[in-house]
Amino acid sequence: MFLEIKDLSVKIENKNILKSLNLNINKGEVHAIMGPNGSGKSTLANVLAGKEDYEILNGRINFKDNDLFDLNIEERAQEGMFLAFQYPVEIPGVNITPFLHSAVNSKRKRMNEEEIDNLSFAKLLKSKASDLGINIDMLKRSVNTGFSGGEKKRYEILQMSILNPDLAILDETDSGLDIDALKIVTDGVNKLKTKENSFLIITHYQKLLDYIKPDYVHVMVNGSIVKSGGSEIAAEIEKDGFQKFQ
Amino acid sequence: MNIQDKYLKNKKNIFFSENKDIQTHREKLINIFENDGFDKKNNESLKNINLKNFIDFEYRYLISEETSVVNNNQENSYSIVSVNGQCLNFKDDKIEITKILDEDYNDFSKNNTIENNDHFVNLNSLFLNSGFKIVIKKNNNIKIKISNIITDDDLTIFQKNNYICEEGSSLNLIEEYENKNNSTLNILNVIKLEKNSQLNHLLIQDNSLNHSLIITSHSSCKKDSTYTQKVYNFSEGYVRNFHYSELIEANSEADLQGIFFLKDNNTSNNKTFVKHLAEDCKSNQVYKGILNDSSKATYFSNTHVDQVAQKTEGYQLSKGILLSDNASYFSKPELKIYADDVKCSHGSTIGPIDENAIFYLRSRGMSKIAATKILISSFINEELNSIDNEQMSEIIQKKLIRYLSKVK
Repeated sequence: MFLEIKDLSVKIENKNILKSLNLNINKGEVHAIMGPNGSGKSTLANVLAGKEDYEILNGRINFKDNDLFDLNIEERAQEGMFLAFQYPVEIPGVNITPFLHSAVNSKRKRMNEEEIDNLSFAKLLKSKASDLGINIDMLKRSVNTGFSGGEKKRYEILQMSILNPDLAILDETDSGLDIDALKIVTDGVNKLKTKENSFLIITHYQKLLDYIKPDYVHVMVNGSIVKSGGSEIAAEIEKDGFQKFQ
Repeated sequence: MNIQDKYLKNKKNIFFSENKDIQTHREKLINIFENDGFDKKNNESLKNINLKNFIDFEYRYLISEETSVVNNNQENSYSIVSVNGQCLNFKDDKIEITKILDEDYNDFSKNNTIENNDHFVNLNSLFLNSGFKIVIKKNNNIKIKISNIITDDDLTIFQKNNYICEEGSSLNLIEEYENKNNSTLNILNVIKLEKNSQLNHLLIQDNSLNHSLIITSHSSCKKDSTYTQKVYNFSEGYVRNFHYSELIEANSEADLQGIFFLKDNNTSNNKTFVKHLAEDCKSNQVYKGILNDSSKATYFSNTHVDQVAQKTEGYQLSKGILLSDNASYFSKPELKIYADDVKCSHGSTIGPIDENAIFYLRSRGMSKIAATKILISSFINEELNSIDNEQMSEIIQKKLIRYLSKVK
């Protein structure tokens, strides 16, 4: 199993958020999690990425034969996990290009691969940015600083395409995007899809799933997955909402 | 021994002791010390300072055999080594350097209207034992680098320097304070910018643990003149940076900036004060601090806008990063506005490093320590990029790397 979440319960500030959650993702699969506000979707994404604000009450997560709880945040990233943030953080003064270069090399180092030099990295970045319709001038700016909502999401996908993760978690990447930006972002995701990597897509709406076809759709309510199936579930939610699952 | 006894005992070795006007002024200062004492509650210059070291000092001064040097190593560029506060006289067609004179003392003591209740400046006046005056002649563009060297342990240097930029002149002044001995340097820079002159003043402070630096500046700007000051404090010992500026004629500017990097149990006290006394003037006061371990800092900033100073633009900002729960930074911005057509603002943000930013960087594979260091560097990125002297920029970068190497 590529990612196995078994009986996971998590709390934050005395509030139980995830309750005995189970989820299995195999290599090459695209999974979507849909759910109403406050159902715990983003908590799951943050727990997977290693955010330290949460208390794990029970359960285990295995990722690529590692016990995920043995790995800290950066080790998870270096092992091939990537979280596209719902609200990417603005970091003034940290330039995009050297930051991403350093991120790529930290992963290569862990994999015992040769580090990528400045010139090769600049070429790679330019080509990936061009694929995503990102202006080269944007790469001279500070991380997410002064970006519009759409630019921030596109920049998340640029990072994803550069880091080429084994498991990408997209936390409401569609929120705040107009239809053109949504198309560019989802095209970027679709180009990255191979038999070797997997995606976990968190969303409220079916619209995103019109562009990225999931193999499985899960409904999450009140911290647990209450129904799993194919893309017909997304259509059902679009028609009737989450009410009937609660 | 109280201040008066200390003064009387060392009077012979103190500058201008025979001058009657100066004697009268000093008697007034002694009275202030005797009557007011060092009352922390009512005197901002004393807040959060361990006064014991500065009141109970033993006066000791040495004139060094190593004479100070003025070297014109490139056209319009001068290197000065000031030893124990002294500098050789020098004169050419662009600059003139002389020992400080009693008339300079009187000029300051009579015309200092911006702040006359600063006890450390008063101590400087009382025990004055060194100092020099540099005049940049009309319409010249000059670079000066001054290394301030203290030769021995246990010295108490009370130094007053005067800088005068004559009309249309421009001075790039770099001052280095890098002393490793157990001494105290109390220095006052009195800076006068005449019409249409400019002074870019860079101060690098990197003293060792037992060296205390008390540095104060009083600058005054006439019409169309600009004073820019950038302080970089990497010292392991105590540093007090108090910098006052008066914009006395129209269209003049004062820009007072500072960054301090503190660790262990170190303390730094900082203050900037700009008095707008004419119309169409601008001021900027920005201090940033990074505090690790149990270090402590204060920063008082103050913009005073006189009623005639219409069209004033005044900006104040204080920012601090606390890298440890035991570090503390007290900041107090103040605005006093007596004119009605002004644009002024102030802001202050102090807190630990942004945990969300750390998480974001780590989630891309960067280690926690690397993420912390990159965020500290980014916090002062703007100030570091604004240094237009490549050599100084490299020196400051190296000192920053040394500081960051101790951040865990």
